[in-house]
Amino acid sequence: MIFGDPAERAAYEALVTAFESEHPTIQVQLIHIPSQSDYRARIGADFAANTPSDVMLINYRRYAQFAARGVLEPLGDYLDRSPLIQTEDFYPEALEPFYWEGKLICIPQNLSSLVVYYNKNLFDAAGVSYPNNDWTWDDFLETAQRLTQDLDGDGNTDIYGLGTEVSIVRLAPFLWQNGGELTNTDFNPTVLTLDRSNEGLEALQWFIQLQTVHGVVPNAEAESAEDSESRFMNGRTAMYLNSRRGVPTYREITAFDWDVAPLPQGKQRAGVLHADAYCMPSMIDDKEAVWTFIEYANSPAGQTIVAQSGRTVPSLRAVAESPAFLDPNKKPLNSRVFLDVIPDLKFLPIMSTWVEIEEILTEELQLGFYNDPAPHDIALMMSFRTLEYFDPPQR
Amino acid sequence: MLNYRRTLRWMLLPYLMGTVILIVIPAIVTLILAFTQYDLLSPPSWYGFNNFRDLAQFDDILPRAMLNSLLFVLLAVPLRILGALALALFLEHRRRGVGLYRTAVYLPTLIPDVAYALIWLWVFNPIYGPLNQVLEAIGIEGPGWLTDARFALPAIVLMSVFQIGEGFVVLLAGLHNIPRDYYDVAAVDGGTGWQKFRYITFPLLRPWLILLTLRDVLLTTQNTFTPAYIMTGGDPYYATMFLPLHIYKETFEDFRYGSGATMTVLMICGVSVILITVFVVLKGWRNQNAYD
Repeated sequence: MIFGDPAERAAYEALVTAFESEHPTIQVQLIHIPSQSDYRARIGADFAANTPSDVMLINYRRYAQFAARGVLEPLGDYLDRSPLIQTEDFYPEALEPFYWEGKLICIPQNLSSLVVYYNKNLFDAAGVSYPNNDWTWDDFLETAQRLTQDLDGDGNTDIYGLGTEVSIVRLAPFLWQNGGELTNTDFNPTVLTLDRSNEGLEALQWFIQLQTVHGVVPNAEAESAEDSESRFMNGRTAMYLNSRRGVPTYREITAFDWDVAPLPQGKQRAGVLHADAYCMPSMIDDKEAVWTFIEYANSPAGQTIVAQSGRTVPSLRAVAESPAFLDPNKKPLNSRVFLDVIPDLKFLPIMSTWVEIEEILTEELQLGFYNDPAPHDIALMMSFRTLEYFDPPQR
Repeated sequence: MLNYRRTLRWMLLPYLMGTVILIVIPAIVTLILAFTQYDLLSPPSWYGFNNFRDLAQFDDILPRAMLNSLLFVLLAVPLRILGALALALFLEHRRRGVGLYRTAVYLPTLIPDVAYALIWLWVFNPIYGPLNQVLEAIGIEGPGWLTDARFALPAIVLMSVFQIGEGFVVLLAGLHNIPRDYYDVAAVDGGTGWQKFRYITFPLLRPWLILLTLRDVLLTTQNTFTPAYIMTGGDPYYATMFLPLHIYKETFEDFRYGSGATMTVLMICGVSVILITVFVVLKGWRNQNAYD
C-alpha cells in the first residue's frame, strides 16, 4: 500500500512488475491512496478489521504510533539474515529514525531532504544569477525579492519569488540552522523547546516574515486561489521548497527549465530528513513472502527502478551514487545536492503522538504565517496546545 | 387484506434490514464505544465516563466545533426554509417557463456533495472565482471567502442555501393541496395578498414547515462534513471546524474511537435538544395562533 501523486504511483507499478517477473509465485496487488490523512485512516481501519496490507510504506514521522502499539514486525533480524542487503549498505541517517526501542522496525527506501527547486527561465528573465551551493539566508531573501514581480503594475504580485507549504517540516531546517531546537530529545521527547531559545524564535520570525513583511511568498488569499506548487509548475513562482518527491511530477514540465539548489545556510549546517520505509504488520501469516518483497524493493535492483522514476533519493549508498539517481540526462541536473547534505540531516522527533503534535504546530504556524502575531506568542500557543501529547495521559 | 399487508411487510423488509444494519447496530456500538478507550490497533477497554472528562479537560477544539455547528444550524436552517418557501410561492402558478425555473431550483440538489463542494471551491476562489469577479465588476472588492476567518463559515452557509430542492418540492406540493375555494372566498371578501398568505396559506402550510424545519436541523448538522472536508479542512484556524469533521479526525485520523464515539453521543444529544426546542416553540406558536 502506497501514497502519492499519479506520477509516483507509476514508479511503484514498475517495481511490482519487475518483482513479479523475478518471483512468479508471489502475486502483488498495489493499493494506492493519494492523500496522507486518508492513508492513515485506511491503515487504522485495516488493522481494526484484522486485514492490514502486507506491506505498508510509512513515513518516519508517522510510524511510531504503530510501533508503540506493537503492531509492526521488527525487520532488523530479517535484514541481518538477508543475503541480498546488509545494514552497512544503507546510509545510517536513513535507518536511524526507524529504530524504535533499539529495534529496527521498517526498512527505509529513501532519504530525501528539503531543497530549493528553481525556474531557470524566470531567473534569466530577471537577470538574477542561479543559487550557488553556499548561499546564505540573506542571499536567499534578496533573490526571492528580486524575483517577486508585479508585471502589469496593478498592485498585485504576478510572479512570486518563493513558494512553500507552511508546515513544521518546512520550518524545521531553518530552525536548526539558526541553532534552535524543536524538542528536548530526538526520541520520545517530553517537551517542546521552540519557545525556550532566542535562536528558535528568531528562525520562526524569519520564516514568517518571508510572507508578512517581505511578501515574497503568496498570502493566504493568493495561496488559496492557486497553491504554490501549481504556481511553480505554471511558471509563476521562481523558487519552490520541496523534497525529492516532486521530481516525477516536475519532469513533466515542458514550458521552462528547472533545477535544484541546496537550502540557504544559516549559522550552522542542517537539513531535514524525509524518509519513507517499508513496514510489515506483525499479524500477517506469510511473513517470508512479504519479506521477499520488502527485500527486493530495497535491493539495488528494486531501488534502481524507483530511483529512475525520480521519486526517491535511494537509501542504498551504491544506488544513490549510480546513474540511476545521478543520470546527467535527466532533471534535476544538480541531483548531487541531495547527497551532499546527507551528513547534515536531522530528523523530526520520533514519538507515538507526533502526528497530532505536528498537526497542531502547523495550524499555529499557519496562523502566524498569514496573520503576523509575535513569534513568541505563536511558540507559546504551540507549547501550550501540545502539552497533553507529550507523555500523554491515558487517552 | 391480510395478503396485502403481508406483501407490504415484505416490501418493507429490505429497508428495515438496511436501517438495522447501517443505522441501529452502529448506533448501539457507538453508544457502547463512547464509554471505552479504543485505538483500533488494540482491543477496546472500559473507560466509564472518563472520555467525557478528558474531552472537557483537554479538547480545546471541541467547544469551537460545537459553537460552529450550532451557528451553522441557526444561520442555515431559517435561510433554507424561508428560501424554499419564497421560491415555492413565487413558482406556484403555472405560467410560461415556470417548469424551467423549478428545474433550476431543484438542480443543485441533484449534484453529488463532493462535486458540489468542488464547484463552490471554484466559485469562492478569491482571484479566479466568478463570485469575486462579479463583485469586482460592480466595484466591490470581494473577500477571501474561505481564507478569511470572518467569511469562511458564512460562505459555507451561503452554498448550503442553494441546495433546497427537496424542501421546495415539498412546499410546492403543500401549496397545491390548499383548496382554491379558500382564496376565492377571501377574494370575495376583499382580502389582500398579504392577508391571504397570513390567514390561509401560512396556517395550512404550517405542518409542512414544521416537518421541514425539524428535518433540516438534522440535515444541516451533518451536511457540513463534505464542504469542510473538501474545501477548507476546518481552516482558517478552526473557523470551519464543525462537529462531524472534528469527530472524523478524532476517530479515523487520530485513532481515538472512544472519544470520537463520545462526541457523536454528545452531538446526538445536542441535536435532540435543538429538535425538542424547535418543536415546543412551533407547537406553542400554533396554540397561540388558534385564538387569533
